[in-house]
Amino acid sequence: MKRYLETGNFAITEGAILAGCRFFAGYPITPATELAESMSYRLPQVDGIYIQGEDECAALHLCIGAALGGYKAMTATSGPGYILYADPYGWAIGCEIPLVILNSGRVGPVSGITGAPGQGEFYLTRYPTQGGNFETIVLAPNSAQEAMAITVEAFYLAERFRTPVTILADQLITDGFEDISVPENEEEMKEMGFRTWPRKINKGPEFYPPTDEIDIPPVVLGHNTGALCSDWTPTEEGYDIEEVAAHHKHAYRLIYKIRNNRNLFSNLYEKTFLDDDPDLIVVSYGTPSRVVNTAVKKARERGLKVGALRLINLWPFPDEHFQKSTRYLSVELNWDGQLVREVQRAVPKDAEVHFLGSCGDLPTVQDLIETFEKLLKGQSLSRRGWELEGW
Amino acid sequence: MDYLAKKYTRPRKIPSTACSGCGLGINHKAVLQAIYELGLEVEDIVWGTSIGCAGRQTFGTWKGDGFAGTHGRVYAIARGLRLALPSEKKIILTVGDGDAFGIGLLHLIHAARSNADLTVIVNDNLGYMSTGGQYGWTTPLGSKTDSSPYGMYEQNLMSDDIDVLSMLKHAGATFIARHVSMDGQRAVESIKKGIRNRGFSLIHMVYPCPTNFGSRELGTRNTIKLYEWIESRAAPLGEEDENTVWATGVYHDASNSRPEFSENIHKNVERIRRGAAL
Repeated sequence: MKRYLETGNFAITEGAILAGCRFFAGYPITPATELAESMSYRLPQVDGIYIQGEDECAALHLCIGAALGGYKAMTATSGPGYILYADPYGWAIGCEIPLVILNSGRVGPVSGITGAPGQGEFYLTRYPTQGGNFETIVLAPNSAQEAMAITVEAFYLAERFRTPVTILADQLITDGFEDISVPENEEEMKEMGFRTWPRKINKGPEFYPPTDEIDIPPVVLGHNTGALCSDWTPTEEGYDIEEVAAHHKHAYRLIYKIRNNRNLFSNLYEKTFLDDDPDLIVVSYGTPSRVVNTAVKKARERGLKVGALRLINLWPFPDEHFQKSTRYLSVELNWDGQLVREVQRAVPKDAEVHFLGSCGDLPTVQDLIETFEKLLKGQSLSRRGWELEGW
Repeated sequence: MDYLAKKYTRPRKIPSTACSGCGLGINHKAVLQAIYELGLEVEDIVWGTSIGCAGRQTFGTWKGDGFAGTHGRVYAIARGLRLALPSEKKIILTVGDGDAFGIGLLHLIHAARSNADLTVIVNDNLGYMSTGGQYGWTTPLGSKTDSSPYGMYEQNLMSDDIDVLSMLKHAGATFIARHVSMDGQRAVESIKKGIRNRGFSLIHMVYPCPTNFGSRELGTRNTIKLYEWIESRAAPLGEEDENTVWATGVYHDASNSRPEFSENIHKNVERIRRGAAL
């Protein structure tokens, strides 16, 4: 194990290399630029390729091409680049191509504030492309060290599920300096709970079986297997077909291979003080969860019966954590309230759901504790003008 | 094309579902003939296509491995694939004019710029014909289409001194040719040169679309009339006259004159891996 004081981008680079990633196509964008830079430095040292796309759309298409040739590939961006992935993301979902995509969230819409953290793409990562008829896997770390672990895990899941996996981070996670331990061999990787899966080659002739099974090797071109992949609805052999029944089978696979096997990653969450039926459950993911965890611990010291639920696996949404009929508070880095809508959907009908938003800056521990107190007293969260709770 | 069809294509997809009188099959055959004359086998080539008539009608026809990219992006996909495949594997792309010269032009230019070893056959039916017939970026000036009912008057990539091929030459393509479907063996010879070039090659091949282009511009789906219309506007380079829209032949041949994209990257990765200083 080697220790560093380094950024999340450094940790993600090392995680990708440990997972077997040898191809990264990037496009400069704050705050994901340093990941591209770090990949351009590290990948050639391990016989890997770094390449810059002419835009983000090209970058993900370059990754798709490389993955189709057998590489484990990755790209990274921020919100304004993530929307340009809409085109290739759908292609990769439909052709079932394993890829890892990192989105380091900043303040939107559009270019917004480039150098501050935001969480505006919670729903965009669920529907990163058009057309529907699919599920996505999205994971959200809250530290540099965890970003490394989640990167390794994302590559593992991408291979087993044959699908792109998005890591939803934010500017503080990717740019922030932290204490990072990097395993130096397989034993140390195992000790840290890192698991990997090799790229296998589908020999055909049924490249797209209509089943919810995982562990079906992806299409790899250039091995003369007769493999076909396209942007059209495929037959089981990969021919394009305009037929509703064939499409239904294809959609079934894209949805249920993930829904029916999500036990593989549904353990990715963190619960703090949730064992004693708290009167308030604070829900969050990513960087805000670090402030939430501190605030919840301090609130407990003051006798407030508050617990924290931190989601790491964001999509498919883990409804199972929201069975209790109590008060919920969603703390997010946006003003419109995104995660809170999903919480509202998942909780029992008589549960209370509240929202505390901020953007570009984190809430303080003091802010949070005051909010907890208000909610526990049954007071509303309404504040000054545009800071109204309404979402 | 029986012997070529049997050797290289899949019975499920050939004969294709193209419209009666469509010239795409002639272009497709010229590519297969070139492959045959170069002595290449099914396993030597990975075949990529785009969308639209040219893309969809040629997708999945090749007996070996194949892919079809989203609108205009196949050049970026093919460059990624180029880095992953061994250099002896050829990548041939059959695409359309809208895909290459419209939505995909940025990616096409970067494929030329990087001199990626791809052979791109742009099958040009003079506009967006699979969507019913709208003007494109090579539609001859004055032509009527569903979206140019008064005749095509916007400057495009084939008007006056603007030629998409010279753009691609200056972007770094190392082999460029232009043909029409009726060029026969002359087109086959150009395609062969394109495949032999270890770098970016593009062959622009105009083909007749009686169903949509012919019916709007000529007022008839008569195949012979449209073939004559195109042929009378095509002439070999150096023999052009005032009616010539498509001067045919090799525009630019700098084959194997500069480093190929993937070779260059792999060479540099190897150099760095061996411990080159920062």
